[in-house]
Amino acid sequence: MQIDWWTLGLQTVNVLVLIWVLGRFLFRPVARIIAERQALAGADLAKAKAALAEAEASRDAARAAAADLAAQRQQMLAAAQAEAAHQKETLLAAAQSEAEAARRTALADLAQARADQARALSDQAALLAGDIAARLLQRLPEEARIMGFIDGLAAAVAALPEATRASIGAEGPLRLRAARALSESESDALNAALAQVLGRPVTLAPEVDPALIAGLELETPHAVVHNNFRADLARIAQELTRHD
Amino acid sequence: MNSPLTLETLFHIGPVPVTLPVVVTWGIIAATTLFCLLATRRLSVTPGKLQLVLELLVTGIEGQIRDTMQRDPAPYRALIGTIFIFVLLANWSSLIPGVEPPTAALETDAALALIVFVATIWFGIRARGLAGYLRTFAEPSWVMIPLNLIEQITRTFSLVVRLFGNVMSGVFVVGIILSLAGLLVPIPLMALDVLTGAVQAYIFAVLSTVFIGAAAGEAPLRQSSEPKGTAHDQSD
Repeated sequence: MQIDWWTLGLQTVNVLVLIWVLGRFLFRPVARIIAERQALAGADLAKAKAALAEAEASRDAARAAAADLAAQRQQMLAAAQAEAAHQKETLLAAAQSEAEAARRTALADLAQARADQARALSDQAALLAGDIAARLLQRLPEEARIMGFIDGLAAAVAALPEATRASIGAEGPLRLRAARALSESESDALNAALAQVLGRPVTLAPEVDPALIAGLELETPHAVVHNNFRADLARIAQELTRHD
Repeated sequence: MNSPLTLETLFHIGPVPVTLPVVVTWGIIAATTLFCLLATRRLSVTPGKLQLVLELLVTGIEGQIRDTMQRDPAPYRALIGTIFIFVLLANWSSLIPGVEPPTAALETDAALALIVFVATIWFGIRARGLAGYLRTFAEPSWVMIPLNLIEQITRTFSLVVRLFGNVMSGVFVVGIILSLAGLLVPIPLMALDVLTGAVQAYIFAVLSTVFIGAAAGEAPLRQSSEPKGTAHDQSD
């Protein structure tokens, strides 16, 4: 057995050349393209992760917005409820006060109506009383219906102020209303009484007014002197119906 | 048929005698180069079928290196991958009528083993530094220095002999059967040679990886003995 050193050397060179050739034209390009694809895949993966992160961020933002919206809605709802409650209270208070005012007005009206009714009743009662009194007085004797009042009329004239008394009868006959036509004696008595009070004779112009019931009424230009039942009854009725 | 242990000179280039294994190797180199140039001309990110096969080959070799060395396979890829591809193609070249596989010649196997031997030292020094690499010979103790030195030689020699023996014997057997029986009889043995050739290419590449990995490895203990023994069991 012998070694062919030339062949050994040539084969060594051959294998080295082949190592270089395969390394240069097979392993390096193929490894590079594999690495390239891995890089691309990695980039795609990173892109996908970024997209995922973005999507998650968007989702979170949307959730936050929804929560915010819900909170706002809740807030608005609460505000609206509070407003409604406030308005309700206000309306209720207004209605209550209005009702109270209406009630008071109604009470006042009622009281007024009652008072009016009472007053009317009282007036009616007074009128009835006057009527009753008038009917009762019808039973008095005819003389009493005039004679009894002459002194009173004279006294009333005497109570008038001096100036007024002086003007009585100065401008013509005095209008004298009587419950009935005066008799001679009555007329004389009256003239005498007035002349005594006034200090001078006066001329009378008698008129008949049954409404007086009984008594006399002297009308001067500046005053009217009453002394009759109508005036008295009217005064009494006024006294009775004075609602104070 | 001449003795496989002697080489017939086909022609001379100047003073250099060119033998058959060298010519066949040139053919393999030419074919491989042409194929690589054509195949890698249009590499794309979206690979075709051929590119997929090439990528499978490259990633398979890288995975083997990574598993064995626990290192980045890039610096060793060209060396280990070329050894595997060349041995495989050389072994299978016997299928071409009239071609004798270059690995059936001792010189080719010796050349391969020499390259692995030098690469082991080179990568060992590059990984550990000269002092660090030399220190590995004194592990686990200085007593082991002679044994470690002898092991460097013997394991390289075993690489040569294993490949040479397997391939040469296959060629021998086929030649003998062919001379005795006739045209179609050696076909089963040739099929067996195909299997043997692939296994031998794998073993040669893996052992080279183990040697280089052990030389460059971080571990202070050299781990070459155990895988080598296993490889012996498989190959012989």
